[in-house]
Amino acid sequence: MRTTPRRLLAGTIALTTALVAAACGGDDSGQKAASNELTMMVPLFGTAPDPEGEVQRAVEKVVGKKLKITWVPNAEYQDKTNVTLASDTIPQVMVVQGKIPAFVQAAQAGAFWELTDKLDKYPNLKAKSEQAERNASINGKVYGIYRVRPLLRSAVLYRKDWLDKLDLKVPETVDELYEVAKAFTEKDPDGNGKKDTYGLILPKWPTPVFCSASPYNAIETWFGAPNCYGDRGGKLVPAFDTEEFYTANRWLKKMVDEGLVNPDFATLDSGKWNDPFYQGKGGIIIDVNVRATQMYGLLKEQDPENYGDKLAMGGNLKRPDGQKFSYPFDGYNGFLAISKQSVRTEAELDEVLKALDRLATKEGQTLLANGIEGRNFTLENGFDVPVGDDDPAVKTINNDVDFAFIQLGTWATIGMGVYEAMPASEAERENLRLRKELVELDLQTAVHNPTLPIVSPTYVSKGATLDPIVSDARVKYLAGEITEEQLRAEVRRWHESGGDQVIAEINDLHAKLGGS
Amino acid sequence: MATDLAPPPAQAAPKPGRGPARVPVRAALLRYRWLYLMLLPGLVYFAVFKYLPMYGLTIAFQDFVPFLGYSGSEWVGFKHFEDLFTGPDFGRLLSNTLILALLTIVFVFPAPIIVALLLNELRINVLKRSIQSLIYIPHFLSWTIVASLTYLLFAVDFGVVANFIQGVLGGPPTDYVAQAEWFRPIIVMQTLWKATGWGTIIYLAALAGVDPNLYEAARMDGAGRARQFWHITLPAIRPTIVVMAILTSGNLLDASFEQIWLMTNSLNRSVADVFDTYVYYVGITQGAFSYSTAVGLFKGLAGVVLIFGSNWLAKRLGQRGLF
Repeated sequence: MRTTPRRLLAGTIALTTALVAAACGGDDSGQKAASNELTMMVPLFGTAPDPEGEVQRAVEKVVGKKLKITWVPNAEYQDKTNVTLASDTIPQVMVVQGKIPAFVQAAQAGAFWELTDKLDKYPNLKAKSEQAERNASINGKVYGIYRVRPLLRSAVLYRKDWLDKLDLKVPETVDELYEVAKAFTEKDPDGNGKKDTYGLILPKWPTPVFCSASPYNAIETWFGAPNCYGDRGGKLVPAFDTEEFYTANRWLKKMVDEGLVNPDFATLDSGKWNDPFYQGKGGIIIDVNVRATQMYGLLKEQDPENYGDKLAMGGNLKRPDGQKFSYPFDGYNGFLAISKQSVRTEAELDEVLKALDRLATKEGQTLLANGIEGRNFTLENGFDVPVGDDDPAVKTINNDVDFAFIQLGTWATIGMGVYEAMPASEAERENLRLRKELVELDLQTAVHNPTLPIVSPTYVSKGATLDPIVSDARVKYLAGEITEEQLRAEVRRWHESGGDQVIAEINDLHAKLGGS
Repeated sequence: MATDLAPPPAQAAPKPGRGPARVPVRAALLRYRWLYLMLLPGLVYFAVFKYLPMYGLTIAFQDFVPFLGYSGSEWVGFKHFEDLFTGPDFGRLLSNTLILALLTIVFVFPAPIIVALLLNELRINVLKRSIQSLIYIPHFLSWTIVASLTYLLFAVDFGVVANFIQGVLGGPPTDYVAQAEWFRPIIVMQTLWKATGWGTIIYLAALAGVDPNLYEAARMDGAGRARQFWHITLPAIRPTIVVMAILTSGNLLDASFEQIWLMTNSLNRSVADVFDTYVYYVGITQGAFSYSTAVGLFKGLAGVVLIFGSNWLAKRLGQRGLF
C-alpha cells in the first residue's frame, strides 16, 4: 500500500482532533437538566432498571417529571460520590450515604442547599422523627431529606436446631451467650461426632472505623460502654476511654482464646458472613434483625422442609450484673441532597422539592418500596402478597423495586415498606412478631449516641489516619498479638495524634447545639 | 510504506568520523516534515493526557474543595507536605513501601531471568513452548482472582497451602493471611506466581537473538556448558537486564495497589500500608483530595530520583544507561 503525504496529513489531523476532543469532552450526564427533567444519582444493588420500564414510568407519573437516574453499584458508591463531588456534573438530587468527609466539606462550602427550615412547608417531606432528622444533620443543619431506618435493629441470631439439641435457651445475658458459644464449640451440636463447629461468627469489618455498627460496638455497649461517645462526668468521651470497653473486650478475647469464635475473624469477608451459619460451622451472629429474613432464605434453599426450625433470634443482652444496655442505630441511612450547582435558584429548588414531595406521598413510597399494586403484589389484610412471580415482566418489576428504586424511599424502605410483606411460613411470621417485640423492649434500654448530629472539623480532616488506630488495635488485642497494656497505649496514641482535638471540638459543638 | 517519506539517503548519511551531520533546526524540520507530522499525534497525546492534567497537582498546595474549584480554594503552600512528613504514618508508609520494593528487587526481578535461562537450556522444543505458554497464563488473571485463590488456599480448616505450612511448621491451625509476618511472603509469592512467566518473554527474545556462531566457536575452543553460559549467554542479555532494571526502579514505589488492598486487614495493616493504598484510602474514601495529592506527588518525585539514580549507577558500572 502506498500512503500519500496528503492522506497521511488527513489521518494525522483526524487522530489529533480525536485526542483533543476526547480530552475536552467528558460525559455530560449531569449537565443542566431540562425543566421537565430530574437528574439523580442513586445506589444500585442489582441490575440497572430500564428507563422505559414499568416501574420508572409509574414513578415518573407520580413525580410529574422525566427521571434521568445515574445508577451506581453500591460497592463503589462512596468512591463515585467523592469523584462526583469533585466534578462539575453533580446531579440535581443525589443520594448521599452518610456524612462522609467529602460531602461535609462540600456542603459546608455551599455545594448543597441547606434545608433546615424549608422542609416543613412540604407535607410529605416534613420529618416524621425529629430525632432522626437531627441525627442526620451536620451540626444541626439539615442538608438532605433523610432516608429512614429502624431506630433499633441490633439482634443476635442462633442456630435453633443446635440450641434444641443441646437443650439450651436463647441467651438473655452475656454469660449465657458465652455458655452457648462454648457448648456450640465443644458439645458437637451438629452430631457428626467431630469437633468441627464454633460458637460466634465475626467478620472482617469492611471499614477500619471505630464507630461503625459492628458486632464489637454492640458488645461494648452491652457491657455499659458509651455508644461511640457518652457523657462521663459532664464531658463527652469516646467509648474506648471507659473501663467498660476493656471489660467487654476481655470477655470477647476469652472467647477467641478458647476457640469459641471463628479462627478467621480478622479476614472473613463480611459478604460471606452468613455462610458459616447456614453451612453449619458456626452458630451465633451478632448483627441486625433483618438478617433473619436473608438467613431464612438461605436455610430454605438447603432444607425446604425444616428450615423454620433452624433459626432463633434474641435481642440485646444483659451484662453480668443484670443491667441492660441496648445498641440502637442512627434511625436514618443517608439522605437525598440537592445540589446548588445544578439547582440554581430558590424557585428551581421549590420545584425540585415539590417533585420529591410528590414522590414521598403514600402512593409514591408504595411504588418505591412495594411495587405496582395488582402487578407484582396484592393486598391481603394489609399485607403485601407477591403475585405472578413466574412472569418475566413481574420479575423485572421486582428487580427494579427491590434492588434499585427502594433506595429512593424516604419514609418507606427495606423491611419498612408501606405494606409489610406477608411472611411465607409460620416460623417467619413468628420471627416478624418477635422482631417487633424485641425492638419495643430494647428501645427502653437503648444507649443513644449523642454525637450523631456533630461533625468535628478535625475528624473530617484527620479521621482517615485516626480511625484505624483503635479499631485495628482492638482486633490485634483480640487475636492475642498485643496485650491490654499495648491496647491502652494505642488508645493514648489516638489521643495524641489528634484525638484530643476531636474530643474538644465535639464537646464544644455539643454545648453549642444545646446539650443532650 | 511510503518510500518518499525517507530522506534522501545521500544527505542523511553521516559524514565519516564526525557523528551525525548537524543540520539547522529549521532545515531539519522542513526536510523531515512528514516524519514530524507523524510524531504530532504522539506529542498531542502526551501533552493532553499526561502534561495538562499535571495542572491538577496544584491542589497539593491548596485546601482544595471541589465546589470552590482550583481558583477558589485556599492556597496553603507546603502544609500538606509538612503534615505528611511530620505525621504518624510517614515512617511506616516509607518503610513498608521500601521493604516491598527491596523484596521485589531481590526475589521478583531475577525470577524471570532465571526461568528464561532455564527454558533456554531445554532441548525439546515442544516442552519449552508449552511450559512457556503455561506460565504466562496467571498474567491474565486479575488480582481479585489471585486474592480469592489465596484466601481459599490459606483457609484455616481446608486450605491446601495453609495445611501444608502447618504440617511443616507445626503448631495450631493458623489464619496465615491475617498474620503480619506472613503478609510480605504472601505478597511476594503472589507476584512471583502471577508475573514471572510474563516477564520471561523479553529475556527469551533477547536469548533468541544470540548468534549461534558464538556458541559454536566456544565449543570449538573447548568451552563447556557452564563456560558458554558465563561468557556468551549472560553477556548477551546483560544490556536487556540493565534496561529492565532501570525501568523497574522507576516503578518500585508503585507497589501493586489492588494486590495489597485486597490482602489488607486489621492485623497486617501495620506492614501492609504503602503509599498507593494510603492515597486511595485517604483521598478517595475519605475525600482528602489535597493531602493525598501531596502524598502522590512525593511518591512520584521519589520515583524520578530512583530512575535517575539507577541510570547513573548503570553508567558508573560501565553499562549503557537508558539516557
